[in-house]
Amino acid sequence: MDIVYLLVPLSVVLVFLIVAVFWWSVQSGQFDDLERHGESVLDDDEAGARKAPGRDDA
Amino acid sequence: MPRHPPRGRHVLQAALSAGYAAIDDPEVQAAFTRPADAGTPGRGKAFVAIDGMYCAACAVKIEAQIAQVPGARIDVNVAAGNAVVDWEASRAPLSAVFAAIEAAGYRPYPAGDHAQRTAADRGRRQELWRLGVAGLCMMQVMMYAWPGYVSTDGDLAPDIARLLQWASWMMSLPVVLFSAVPFYRNAWRDLRRGRVSMDLPVAIAVVVTFAASSWAMASGQGEVWFDSLTMFVFFLLGGRWLEAGARRRAVRDLERITRRLPDTVERLSGWPAPQARAERIASHRVAAGDVVRIAVGEAFPGDGTVLAGGSSADEAVLTGESRPVPKGIGDAVVAGSFNLTGPVVVRVDRTGADSRFGQVLALMEQAAAGKPRIAEIADRYARWFLLGVLLLAAVAGFGWHLAGEPRALWIAVSVLIVTCPCALSLAAPIASVTAVGRLARQGVLVSHPQALEALAQATDAVFDKTGTLTRDVPTLYAVEPLRDGVDPLRALALAAALEAGSRHPLARSIAEAARNQRLDTEVASTVARLDAVRETAGEGVSATLDGVRWRLASAALDGPVDAAPGMPADLRADAPSGAVVWLSDAEGPAAAFRFDDGLRPDAADTVAALHRDGLRTALLSGDHEAAVSTVAARAGVTRHVSRATPDGKLAEVERLQAQGARVLAVGDGINDGPLLSRADVSVAMGAGAPIAQGRADLVLLSDRLADVAFARGLAKRTLRVTQQNLAWAALYNAACVPLALAGLLPPWAAGLGMAASSLAVVLNALRLAR
Repeated sequence: MDIVYLLVPLSVVLVFLIVAVFWWSVQSGQFDDLERHGESVLDDDEAGARKAPGRDDA
Repeated sequence: MPRHPPRGRHVLQAALSAGYAAIDDPEVQAAFTRPADAGTPGRGKAFVAIDGMYCAACAVKIEAQIAQVPGARIDVNVAAGNAVVDWEASRAPLSAVFAAIEAAGYRPYPAGDHAQRTAADRGRRQELWRLGVAGLCMMQVMMYAWPGYVSTDGDLAPDIARLLQWASWMMSLPVVLFSAVPFYRNAWRDLRRGRVSMDLPVAIAVVVTFAASSWAMASGQGEVWFDSLTMFVFFLLGGRWLEAGARRRAVRDLERITRRLPDTVERLSGWPAPQARAERIASHRVAAGDVVRIAVGEAFPGDGTVLAGGSSADEAVLTGESRPVPKGIGDAVVAGSFNLTGPVVVRVDRTGADSRFGQVLALMEQAAAGKPRIAEIADRYARWFLLGVLLLAAVAGFGWHLAGEPRALWIAVSVLIVTCPCALSLAAPIASVTAVGRLARQGVLVSHPQALEALAQATDAVFDKTGTLTRDVPTLYAVEPLRDGVDPLRALALAAALEAGSRHPLARSIAEAARNQRLDTEVASTVARLDAVRETAGEGVSATLDGVRWRLASAALDGPVDAAPGMPADLRADAPSGAVVWLSDAEGPAAAFRFDDGLRPDAADTVAALHRDGLRTALLSGDHEAAVSTVAARAGVTRHVSRATPDGKLAEVERLQAQGARVLAVGDGINDGPLLSRADVSVAMGAGAPIAQGRADLVLLSDRLADVAFARGLAKRTLRVTQQNLAWAALYNAACVPLALAGLLPPWAAGLGMAASSLAVVLNALRLAR
């Protein structure tokens, strides 16, 4: 049972880590436009494939 | 409309020549850009609104195009129709970025109000984060609480139980110290102003629960409720999050209208000289008298007159009419409407608050500031209700404590949360905001929310005649040759030529009919051959053509020809259905031009719809009996009063009101101000009426009479939805308060119930937007 003394505090730390990741994802605007990225799956335009390298160049 | 506008080299050229170079002016940039976060010189962020984006693929195209501009990056938000551009001036100027967006086939505009919009975005992110933190912590606290619930006595070692309590406490901290902050802040803000708000019970509940649970944990006596605490904070935040989204949807129709004016506009100095200089200036700097060039897809910055070019305009913002309106030289354009098919040069006549768009905005702001009467009452009582809630919770907690109940505090907290009258205070305003937005989309402006209540309760409708049931200008519907050898089209052309210089309404409709028959060139050549044109008030127009003296005059004033032989019998009478104009020469009448009474095509349907709705109808007019009774009969209006003076109309409305009727008056908003202000609710046809100064409760910008029936239907539905909402909110409180007092409702269920009841109210109101 002693392991619980390690695991419970660890779970607290883990949740705080998850909260931090969530903070990053919200602040970087990932939840601002929920429609567009879903629709982009349906986009068979070549431009979609070129987009990522294009942005890295910038 | 094609989903993606064509792209091509010429677009880029056009963009550069259209004066995007002005975008690089630091003074212009100040309005919509800011330096990049790192503070690198020459690097900045620009906020750009992009027109023409319909789907995700559009964003991909724009991003691919921008990738070719050195040092530039773009972040496109399709839903909002805007983008953030990150650019480096030393490698490529901002105008190159704009040109690239243009080359992708879309129109970029500097977004001046972007700062405001990003503030709203930041607010929404913050809300989402608070909700997310509460959700994650709540789930973990549940995990720690679980062993306590499932273990039988003695199963859970005391030290483990304490460990789990400490872990729960740790997890509750972010919820209490961060997620719940809006509740404290709002409660405190209102307390300082001497008001009690709905956030106060929630804030007290959070603080009391947390303090008591912490004390119980530290002292090792009593129960902890960290699980209930985190759960109800999560449910309340979740409810508000969804509710805020729904409300935003409700006001979107209104916002779409207020965000219509362009941020910049291309001014031509020295027009019409060929070397006219074009410069792009902020649209608020445009003054009356300026000449501006409006490209395809741009909005007009002010009311004005087309000087060159031809196009069509989308005036849906002002009329609810989605069909494009053709615009030629000399036609008037209105601020906020979109130029659709060709570039035009426009002289601006009125800007800002003077323009029709400005008046519409002023009216809408006025409406937004008002509250439905029922909401004012609810607000007045909410304060006492809230104080009652606090008292009730205190009494319940104390009572249960005296009765030896260990869950006394838990019960008090449940009472605090469950009785929060959020749903009650939302019930009326949300319905009225949604309905006002829906009507605005139809081209019907509501000047204050009480108007909807009054409209729903109206029992009698009184109509004015001219400009209301009938159009201002009668339509020419027949040209009848009155002797052999007269060609109707030739006669029409001759009549149009005779009337070319006249501003009489009948002359205007003759000219319109000639235009519709494509007689323009013939009319023009005839005008050139006319001699000795004379227009005498009351006697019509006469002129000499090829040695023959022709006369065009209305029947009633043209006595001598009335008796001429060969005239159809029904034309001799004082033709009740509309005016008749005669074309005659020395030999007598050659042709008769018949005009209808200008009854609106939707008049009969509207009156019928109002009858079905249980309204009594009446027509009040100053016109003579024959004209009024004909219009009344054709429109289906039950009762009519002819030769009514303005005072007589007023007296008629007062007589109806004395009999207990609630009167809806429909007028043209110009000559019937007193009538409109005396009625319980008034509707003005908006074609020519001054909007903001008018006394009408509703303005039909659409100029469609049928919208009266539509507005009445929506008003009744709004009243019904409001009543449903109020009933639901009252029922909810009536059912939940006793449950909470009896200790049958744990705090988490109370939080869930409250969030669900508010959400139900909002969703019910959103039905009105369809």
